[in-house]
Amino acid sequence: MVAPRPTALGRARRALGPAFWLLGLLVPVLLGGSWISILAIFAIYAIVALSQDIVLGRAGMYDMGHAVYFGVGAYVTAILNTRLGWPIFATWPIAIVVAALVGVVLSAGIVKLRGDYLLVATIGFNIIFVLALGNNVADVTGGPDGIFGIGVPQLFGTALSSQGALFYLDWLALAAVLLLMRNLERSRIGRVFRYLKEDELAATTLGIDARYYKILAFAIGAGVAGAAGTLFAVQLASVSPGSFVFTESVTLFAIVLVGGQASIPGVLLGTALMFVVPQVFRGLAQYRYFAFGIAMIVVMVLRPQGIWPRGRAR
Amino acid sequence: MDVVLQQFINGVTVGGFYALIALGYTMVYGVLKLINFAHGDLCILAAFIGLTVLTSGLGGANAGALLLAAAFIVAAVAVGIAGAVLEFTAYRPLRKAHRLSAVVSALGASMLIENGIMLIWSPQVQVFPANLLPDLTWKIGSASISFVQVMIIAGSLILMAALYFYVHHTRFGTAIRAAAIDQDAARLMGINVNRVIASVFVVGPALGAVGGLFVGLYYREAYFNMGWIYGLNAFIAAIIGGIGNIPGAMLGGLLLGLFNAFAAGYVSSSWQEAITFALLIAILLVRPTGILGERVAEKI
Repeated sequence: MVAPRPTALGRARRALGPAFWLLGLLVPVLLGGSWISILAIFAIYAIVALSQDIVLGRAGMYDMGHAVYFGVGAYVTAILNTRLGWPIFATWPIAIVVAALVGVVLSAGIVKLRGDYLLVATIGFNIIFVLALGNNVADVTGGPDGIFGIGVPQLFGTALSSQGALFYLDWLALAAVLLLMRNLERSRIGRVFRYLKEDELAATTLGIDARYYKILAFAIGAGVAGAAGTLFAVQLASVSPGSFVFTESVTLFAIVLVGGQASIPGVLLGTALMFVVPQVFRGLAQYRYFAFGIAMIVVMVLRPQGIWPRGRAR
Repeated sequence: MDVVLQQFINGVTVGGFYALIALGYTMVYGVLKLINFAHGDLCILAAFIGLTVLTSGLGGANAGALLLAAAFIVAAVAVGIAGAVLEFTAYRPLRKAHRLSAVVSALGASMLIENGIMLIWSPQVQVFPANLLPDLTWKIGSASISFVQVMIIAGSLILMAALYFYVHHTRFGTAIRAAAIDQDAARLMGINVNRVIASVFVVGPALGAVGGLFVGLYYREAYFNMGWIYGLNAFIAAIIGGIGNIPGAMLGGLLLGLFNAFAAGYVSSSWQEAITFALLIAILLVRPTGILGERVAEKI
């Protein structure tokens, strides 16, 4: 297939992403301590939001329980590290695999449900998950207080203990996920997701196994969220149920819609609005969510497709 | 046996306000196919407004029947107006947009109302004074039923009967049902669909307001973010009965209340919500259209 010749504008647009990422590398050099951790948290939530976008924005399934997979990843790392003494980097693949498996198991039963019914079922999963964590199921989740004292990641004998080192770890992981998203977009799987979202009946008549691909979307989305969970556990050195409650899933859901479905810059922008802007207005904490509510309505009314919608399919 | 009777009374009480709140979800969903995530918060707003009316009226003594009626009316009217404003500003402009845009708008509205309550009434739990209602209890065998329970059961049954009559035996009720079945056809028959939708956003929240004030009077407390959990429970009730189906919401509310009351005897309270949601997921898998929902072929 011959790619169309890129225009100057197209080239500039294409350079925007890498430029943004390279600029981010300067963060620990130019900015102070609290900003480094705020932007590290941004990178982590950006990964989770992108993973939410795989299920919601790309495959078109109304998943309002995505914090579950993020939480599974964080708890797997926390438990393996504090109980069994595993190094952080050894827990990472396990966190990804377990989160993806949870995604497969939970979604297998419900992917047949239509739009809103799926949404409600995923809310149910999230609430049951948080209750299970709080009730200290199997005596490993630490109850409502969670798990403390998660270790520092070691890379080739060096401890990544400074905020700057952790930021680079998160930023590299974000780059990997951005590459994954780009490849997904251009791959057969990504096209199948889009087809299923646009017209499931037409897709199935062409022989696409809708159930298989929907579960696959959940598996990929959950696995990526699990990867972010590990980073989150390391960043905070602790995990507790409060970080993975249903309202977090609502926020992730809103990020994708406010930013723009299946739009990478949109999702990143949405994440920044939801997680970085509040830090700037910390002094106005009590008015913050009130203003957020208004902002969500205003954005949707003015730009129902999101602030930075996906460009026309190339 | 008496334990069973007592659980039954408690279950019907809780089911009464779940049903009242569920009606708002189901009416809106029936007409717009939108989950109005702000509905639970609107209902809880009524508990705060009602409490303010009740405590401002009399210092110390029992709230008289008149004051109690005033509290319900003020709460229902205020919340009904809030519902109409919400529809006009947050949902109407999005009627032609992707349906998830309206869902996000509803989530924003929920956040707005919840935090608005917090800013007006403080983040602390607001306690309903013990002497607001007459402290009466009647014995039925060894089970007992209190004044507030009688009020909730009677009030919700009367309101549900009234709504049923309104929707099934008046001209405007027929218009609501017609718009729920097919908006375009209803418009062609001369029905003002915009007015129908606006009315649904007044009647649903007003009924839910009574339910929300019942919640406050029954548990004798209200906190700003309780709208989510009561809203979710009521929403589950609406799904159990068949979302979009008005008698279904009533039935679903009562069944969920009874289920909660009887489950509470066997599982620890820390798992109660999990049991409710497990029930929900089970129902969704077996019969997604709920008990009274019609089995329609999926629209493509």
